Amino acid sequence: MKILMLTWEFPPVIAGGLGMACYGIVKSLLELDIDIDLVLPTNKTAYFPLREPQDADELPVVFLDQTEDRPSPKKYSYDNVKIGSEPILSSVLTETEVNRLSIERRLHYLGVISNPETYINFHTLKTFRSIFFDTSSTNQPEYVKPDNEVSLLRVIGKSLKGSEDIFKKVQEYTVKATQIAATNNDYDIIHAHDWLTYPPGMLIKKVCDTPLITHIHATEFDRSGGSGDERVHNIEYSGMAFSDSVIAVSKYTAQMIINRYRIGPEKINIVHNAYSSDAKILKTDSKKRIFKGPTILFLGRITIQKGPDYFLDVAKQVLKKHPQARFIMAGTGDMARKLLHKSASYRLKNRFLFAGFLNRKEVEDILSSTDIYLLPSVSEPFGIAPLEAMAYGITAIISKQSGVSEVVDHAYKIDFWDIDKMVETIDFLIENPEKCRNMGIKGMREVEKIRWDDAAAAIKTTYKTIKQTRQHN
Amino acid sequence: MLNIVFYFQVHQPYRLKHINVLDIGKIDRYDNEELNKEIMIKVANKCYLPSNRLMLKLIKRYADKFKIAYSISGVAVEQFKQYAPQVLDSFKELAATGQVEFLAETYYHSLASLIDTDEFLDQIQMHQDLVYKEFGQRPIVFRNTELIYSDKISDIIAEEGYKVMLSEGVDRILKWRSPLYSYKNYSKTISLLLKYYSLSDDIAFRFSNTAWQDYPLTVDKFINWINKLTLSEKLNRNQFLNLFMDYETFGEHQWEETGIFQFVEAMPEAVLKHEHLGFANPSQITGLTNYQQESIAFPETVSWADQERDLSAWMENDMQKNAHETIYSLLKLIKKKKRDDLLPTARMLTTSDHFYYICTKYFQDGDVHKYFSPYDSPEQAYIYYLNALADLEEKLNN
Repeated sequence: MKILMLTWEFPPVIAGGLGMACYGIVKSLLELDIDIDLVLPTNKTAYFPLREPQDADELPVVFLDQTEDRPSPKKYSYDNVKIGSEPILSSVLTETEVNRLSIERRLHYLGVISNPETYINFHTLKTFRSIFFDTSSTNQPEYVKPDNEVSLLRVIGKSLKGSEDIFKKVQEYTVKATQIAATNNDYDIIHAHDWLTYPPGMLIKKVCDTPLITHIHATEFDRSGGSGDERVHNIEYSGMAFSDSVIAVSKYTAQMIINRYRIGPEKINIVHNAYSSDAKILKTDSKKRIFKGPTILFLGRITIQKGPDYFLDVAKQVLKKHPQARFIMAGTGDMARKLLHKSASYRLKNRFLFAGFLNRKEVEDILSSTDIYLLPSVSEPFGIAPLEAMAYGITAIISKQSGVSEVVDHAYKIDFWDIDKMVETIDFLIENPEKCRNMGIKGMREVEKIRWDDAAAAIKTTYKTIKQTRQHN
Repeated sequence: MLNIVFYFQVHQPYRLKHINVLDIGKIDRYDNEELNKEIMIKVANKCYLPSNRLMLKLIKRYADKFKIAYSISGVAVEQFKQYAPQVLDSFKELAATGQVEFLAETYYHSLASLIDTDEFLDQIQMHQDLVYKEFGQRPIVFRNTELIYSDKISDIIAEEGYKVMLSEGVDRILKWRSPLYSYKNYSKTISLLLKYYSLSDDIAFRFSNTAWQDYPLTVDKFINWINKLTLSEKLNRNQFLNLFMDYETFGEHQWEETGIFQFVEAMPEAVLKHEHLGFANPSQITGLTNYQQESIAFPETVSWADQERDLSAWMENDMQKNAHETIYSLLKLIKKKKRDDLLPTARMLTTSDHFYYICTKYFQDGDVHKYFSPYDSPEQAYIYYLNALADLEEKLNN
């Protein structure tokens, strides 16, 4: 079976949980002998043909337009700009040359960047739904079939041309992904992750007559912490309505899809995310700590969805009673500056610190020095980060408004708004370090059993069902 | 007679490394040696060495007619020793002429006067000892960090036995009074010299500004302005024109190509041509004051910084306030636990520049702040600073 996988993020270039989830799914699907062509937002018309499990780590690339595979005029010349410690390539490279680069540089060369653009807040409203639904005549949206694919492409392109860069990028992505699909035209299923990839998903389904699965990692309601951008809602709705099956990462998300987007429950499959450790995790007793005092961590994007302001308010309360505690806020996001100023106004001295954006290695280091993980998400479709923290033997306090709370028992589950309860729990854990450790160890054992293999097996079943249904029709 | 009182501030902070949360507990020192060395060598070559050569030449040329004063922070002297010892030697050579006066300040160029009087006095004592050791002088004139001044601070300094203190000629305090006379503080315990900011800033900030209506500034033009100042004085009272500025003005803020060195070199002769013009050192003003000094109250704290001439460059926003509270509470703890090994590092972190980098006043003055900051944003400076303090506290609890 051959799948066209459309996603905006994939390791090592990731901004949040989407990339990690896609990696876990892809790697385990490859182990189940599924062939995957992965399309990322590159600036070249290129895709990543993944056939063996290790391909998920190596990301071999193929240029669709072989005329791009011409010899470079300046071979391997570097300019002064650097990513990490490596200089960026400034010349034009051939496909062969690109494949010889390290993976980070390869993705950088292809224009895949790590900015969390998926999570930009949109203010101006534009209608997308008029492309797929005729809203003029009836209240009930109706699917409008454009005369031909070219006109559909044109309409999408026109509509997606927003003032923000992100819509332009979605438009470019749509064109490239559609070219790839139409050229190869041998896919059994299109698997599209989150709204940014739904426009190409729908278009390819239309052009190539291939079944579409939309995978919901987060909806606009989750990201915005409120109503969000209507354009995004329309894309999300169109994608789900137009697809053959919808995969939701939790019951929480499935409920949201049913209630808010009115998608029929029969179309929805729940496949929980998982966490696969690299088995390099240090044992809890050999922690290389940063602070001698109890350390409480926030690790995620500093945006309204993750409830960073609740974390700060909890810190303020806990520090009154336990000034030896240390709170670390790791990550970046549109609320980071606001939180920094607010934390300063609380006069928490050097007890509330900002770690900024952390790479993989740094995430591992900080998790090795943490006692308590607190994720007060306002709305969390799943939340892989708490699983990762638990895999490090860290006691996790997670929001009841999260999908991850459906799959773990050995974590504290508290409403995101219930600051008193979170303070009470952290106070208790600081005062009873033995209990805190035990909870952490139980959580670690529990997480070891939540495997991507199971998620991939469920997804494979969905693929088969859709393929069979398609053949019967 | 009008006496020009030149005082030059010489200061280089220890700029900090970019300290991240993950560095806490693993880092030995916070100062960015590479960067500090680079800047020190750059400023030494552009400013300190050529300026000192010029001043020495002028002193030799005009003997006791030409006088200047310096205030050199302890952290600058430390960095001379580490990165540019010839600069310290040239200052010693200037000291040996007897025409150069060295003023007292806080060793760490800190804002301790506003927060912790004991620490303030400790740092003054450290600086007194340093000036005596390096330049053989016991200062009787005090200048606080950034000319920060208030009635309360004048009490502390008078109590310590200083005779003269420098401050800013702030319009809202002076009102109708002229900064050309020496004054007494509110309790008449110490004499005050107030900076004549317009003429000081003409040299320090506007000298090379081609958009300035008086550009280019020539010595003739400048002396002509000074001459006019003496016209209003009909009672033969001695006046003091206090030209206070950063020493880095010469060659660093105003590059050599602007002609700043030629300007300075030509100035003494142009001044001394006039019988009623001359130069004086700050400590001489008590002897030269031939009138009853008016007392002047500074109920609010002033400084020489920015347009506001207040404390907003260092102590306005929440980040600056939290940073101050943290370092001074840590200092108290370090003293209480008698951790003398950590004291120099903690005191180094009281240097005013660390707070200046966290300033968020994003208008005209914000540009000046940005020019002097090794960080991209005030927030970034704050994060690194707070991480240093978190590491220091971990060391304290070891």
